[in-house]
Amino acid sequence: MDDLARVLAAHPFLAELDPDHVKFLVGCTKSVRFRAGDHLVREGDREDTLYLIRQGGVAIEMRRAGGEVVCVETVGAGDVIGISLLAEAASHLDCRARESVVAFAIDSACLLRKMTEEPRLGFALAMRLLARTYERLSRARLQHLDIYR
Amino acid sequence: MTMTSPYVPAPLAIARAVRELDDVFTWTFDVPGGFAFKPGQFNMLYVHGVGEVPISISGDPAAPERLVHTIRAVGVVTRVMDKLGEGDVMGVRGPYGSAWPLDEARRRNVIVIAGGLGLAPLRPAILGLLAHRADYGRITILYGARTPGDILYRQELETWRGRFDLRVEAIVDHAGRDWFGPVGVVTRLLDGVPVTADDAAFVCGPEIMMRFAARELANRGVSRETIWISMERSMKCGIGLCGHCQLGGSFMCKDGPVYRLDRIAPYMQVPEL
Repeated sequence: MDDLARVLAAHPFLAELDPDHVKFLVGCTKSVRFRAGDHLVREGDREDTLYLIRQGGVAIEMRRAGGEVVCVETVGAGDVIGISLLAEAASHLDCRARESVVAFAIDSACLLRKMTEEPRLGFALAMRLLARTYERLSRARLQHLDIYR
Repeated sequence: MTMTSPYVPAPLAIARAVRELDDVFTWTFDVPGGFAFKPGQFNMLYVHGVGEVPISISGDPAAPERLVHTIRAVGVVTRVMDKLGEGDVMGVRGPYGSAWPLDEARRRNVIVIAGGLGLAPLRPAILGLLAHRADYGRITILYGARTPGDILYRQELETWRGRFDLRVEAIVDHAGRDWFGPVGVVTRLLDGVPVTADDAAFVCGPEIMMRFAARELANRGVSRETIWISMERSMKCGIGLCGHCQLGGSFMCKDGPVYRLDRIAPYMQVPEL
């Protein structure tokens, strides 16, 4: 358990989080591995897991009419998948492993429970999720402008 | 080549025309006497009876006998240019404007950030850096394009990428599954690049991309005094007289297009400038 807490604390998303809070999260967390082509998230599914990517690349994809798959962003080590956790929304896109991916999988229901039980942890994680959401929104807006056309 | 007057274009025949992308082409003019220029400068290219446009020089500064321009067919004049080819004669006057500060960047790490056709004005600078590779620290080229099919100078980027003394990364805004590189905005590529406060950065692309890139560089500690960007406005005379490309107290054709960020940043956010 201590080993998991140590490696969990080393993930950039949890950097400088109170060590007691990291230990508190361990109970919700497991280490997972995906093969290239596996989906971490599928469009329409409830996102019930927050993934902290440790290794490998993930394509965030959407399907155009007719089924053509378009990758709108790639993320990798240090990034987070499943940030709609707080919105309790179904995913609007697919997240597919482009190569072998190693991640921490944090159960969303368990995480939300812990965040409620320990408001300081809840605040700290909510701020981090918000920061990641804002960064992704900024990038999406820039892409939306189609500036290279 | 010597110009008799800054207003009089010299006739030059297109020696080679290469299709780069659907709407982008590269012309090479043979200039036996040489056409000396500094990386980052531009020429005014005149299509007889149609009009004149400013186009950055994209060739190798060490090979002045070949004048190279990469052009996107986007306006009235450049769309006519798109229909021209080898043997057609253009009017050329220049070179004009400021240059990428290759001397000032010596002994520093250099980060080149290009977006879309912005790689064209940076190509002479990259070739200049590589020609004097030992004079510089780490050299990193970060390139963003719309899709994999819109990547400019793809073959040359692959060649540069194969070098061990250079880091080259390309990213696209969106892609199909046949693209194995990263997808996202060009500034994302900075995440994997070691940056130090006195690195030099050359940035060229759509203005909004340059603003974002400059901000990201500044957030990582790079001084605004060592970030240079190449601005684009509608140049007309090319010699700072007509005022067509005035930006604040500066004439972009004469004082630019390459500016140090701290000197141009105040104007970049002013509406209608």
